[in-house]
Amino acid sequence: MKFRTILTIIGVVIGTASIIVMVSIGNGAQKSITDELSGIGSVTTLQVYQDLSSMGMTAMGGGKTDDKAILNDDAIKDLKKIDGVVAVTPVVNLSGGEIEVDREQYGVSLMGVDYAVLEDMRYVTTSGKKPGANDENSVILGKDVLTSFTYTGASTQLEASAVKPEDLIGQNITMTIKRTNANGEEEIKTQKLKVTGVLEATGGNEDYSIIADYHLVTDLNEWQTGRKANVKKQGYSQALVTVEDSSVVNDVTSEVEAMKFTVFSMQQILDSMGSVFQMLQILLGGIGGVALLVACIGIVNTMTMSIYERTKEIGIMKVIGASISDIRNMFIAESTMIGLIGGLVGIVISLVLSVLINLIAGLFIGGEGGVTISYITPGLVVFALFFSALVGLLSGVRPAIKAANLSSLDAIRSE
Amino acid sequence: MHKDFKLGKEDIHILKGIDLDIEQGEMVALLGPSGSGKSTFLNVLGGLVPPTSGDIMIRDYRISDMTENELCLFRREHLGFIFQSYNLISTMTAMENVALALTFAGVKKEIRQQRAQEALEVVGLVDRMGHKPSELSGGQQQRVSIARALVNHPEIILADEPTGNLDSKTSADIMEMITRLNREEKQTFVIVTHDPDTTKYCTKVIHMCDGLIEAEVNQ
Ligand SMILES: Nc1ncnc2c1ncn2[C@@H]1O[C@H](COP(=O)(O)OP(=O)(O)OP(=O)(O)O)[C@@H](O)[C@H]1O
Ligand SMILES: [Mg+2]
Repeated sequence: MKFRTILTIIGVVIGTASIIVMVSIGNGAQKSITDELSGIGSVTTLQVYQDLSSMGMTAMGGGKTDDKAILNDDAIKDLKKIDGVVAVTPVVNLSGGEIEVDREQYGVSLMGVDYAVLEDMRYVTTSGKKPGANDENSVILGKDVLTSFTYTGASTQLEASAVKPEDLIGQNITMTIKRTNANGEEEIKTQKLKVTGVLEATGGNEDYSIIADYHLVTDLNEWQTGRKANVKKQGYSQALVTVEDSSVVNDVTSEVEAMKFTVFSMQQILDSMGSVFQMLQILLGGIGGVALLVACIGIVNTMTMSIYERTKEIGIMKVIGASISDIRNMFIAESTMIGLIGGLVGIVISLVLSVLINLIAGLFIGGEGGVTISYITPGLVVFALFFSALVGLLSGVRPAIKAANLSSLDAIRSE
Repeated sequence: MHKDFKLGKEDIHILKGIDLDIEQGEMVALLGPSGSGKSTFLNVLGGLVPPTSGDIMIRDYRISDMTENELCLFRREHLGFIFQSYNLISTMTAMENVALALTFAGVKKEIRQQRAQEALEVVGLVDRMGHKPSELSGGQQQRVSIARALVNHPEIILADEPTGNLDSKTSADIMEMITRLNREEKQTFVIVTHDPDTTKYCTKVIHMCDGLIEAEVNQ
């Protein structure tokens, strides 16, 4: 093989490898983030909120209430009726609680859910178990409940306590809440809570909360505010809807939206991130594409040179009976081969590079079990191979047509 | 038949009305001074350049009306060419050069090699079939190019000064071989030559001068 041809192939190798590596980095970023997101907080849980805009409307409309827009117990029942919904629970929050563990004070908030459907919700305990439907005073701890924040200068540091949440399983903890009464005096209420389990990381509020029964949380809330909650008129601030599997998420979401509630789901975030990553890939792929474009110019140049050099040969072939298409196909095949070989070598090199990138990134970032910065999908490999062959083919077309149209007699006379 | 060439804006008249019949199996010598248009005539005959006016008929085929692609197919099946400068492909062996003509005709590889070998046998070069042109003498190279012209079993072989670069002994060998082929295979030869010795092998001698046929002698 001619040195010139080898250089041209190297050009294609660099072009193909840069496309693959660039896109693989986009892929890797997407993969690690989506993996993380779908790992935390179940993809099959939707967060439903009262539609804030419709609430505003009713307020301005002079107290005219729109039943549909209020997230009360009727609405919870309606949500439950939607196809694909497994469980619905209202969420009642309480903040400002304090617990003392091992003579350390921890500020906590409670997240009250319906224990009657707790079994059907996708909450997974890493240790211990979920409370039963009637264990009103039992709770599950979020995994970071005992983590306190300390502020050192500019950075926030997470400091895990000596006591792990798991250590508290089976024990009673005492939570205190405070309120200021009408006379400006501080009143304190204590509540005993029995820890039955620790929740797996969800990535949501649960991690820093204590999961409790919403009846209990409602009672504590009423004591703290000194007012009776009017759920029927004002609704819950939030409800959690658990659906069968991820395939029904979009259908359920639109049905809930039709009920004039606001819905958040991990699926929506993943969907919108998908388009962001697609743009990122196009951008990175485009940068790689520039390298392949340069390689393409290289192929055209090499083929043109080769045709100049082989003009006489082309003339001879035409005289002894090569047709126009014979000559054309011969040169197109040659340039396609350059593209294909370059593509193949480029793929091998980028596979090696991808492993190296992940290895080196792993050294710097650390983290358990390998880091995915660059992720090469089989589709990407097939695409790269196809694309490099196509680039070779297209680059060869013009020189090949030029070669095929040489006059045989002029060509044979040239030296 | 006429042939003009454009030189700048001017048309120069090279072949000025040639009217010639060649019978199958004839061995024709084209003789004439340099610049008289012998090569041009041969090239028009082989469809390598189109005539400006007039017709060329080979059997029932009207060469002068064929498209470039039709000419390629026609050459592949009916015509063989031999050049003064051999025109072998330098990167290919003798065998590959001969077999190349069959490649374009779509002949299978084994048959290609077998027939190329047969053609090289005819010209007495089987023992050199693995050699590149640069490893062969002028006479041997010319014999490879003759083998290439023969391999398709064409009815007509057009040769432009086939012995032009060879010494008299080798020229005689080549001409004897061509005569043998002409006699055995009934192939028609049209041979352009400067060498009066060559003409004694031919059945017909045509003298050209200044783009016209001056004399036509049957031997
Ligand atoms: N492609 C061309 N363009 C212009 N003029 C040409 C071309 N080919 C040949 N000629 C002219 O035509 C004339 C005849 O050329 P040709 O090659 O046929 O001569 P010839 O008889 O073969 O000569 P020689 O014996 O030297 O080979 C010459 O004057 C030559 O300059
Ligand atoms: Mg000549």
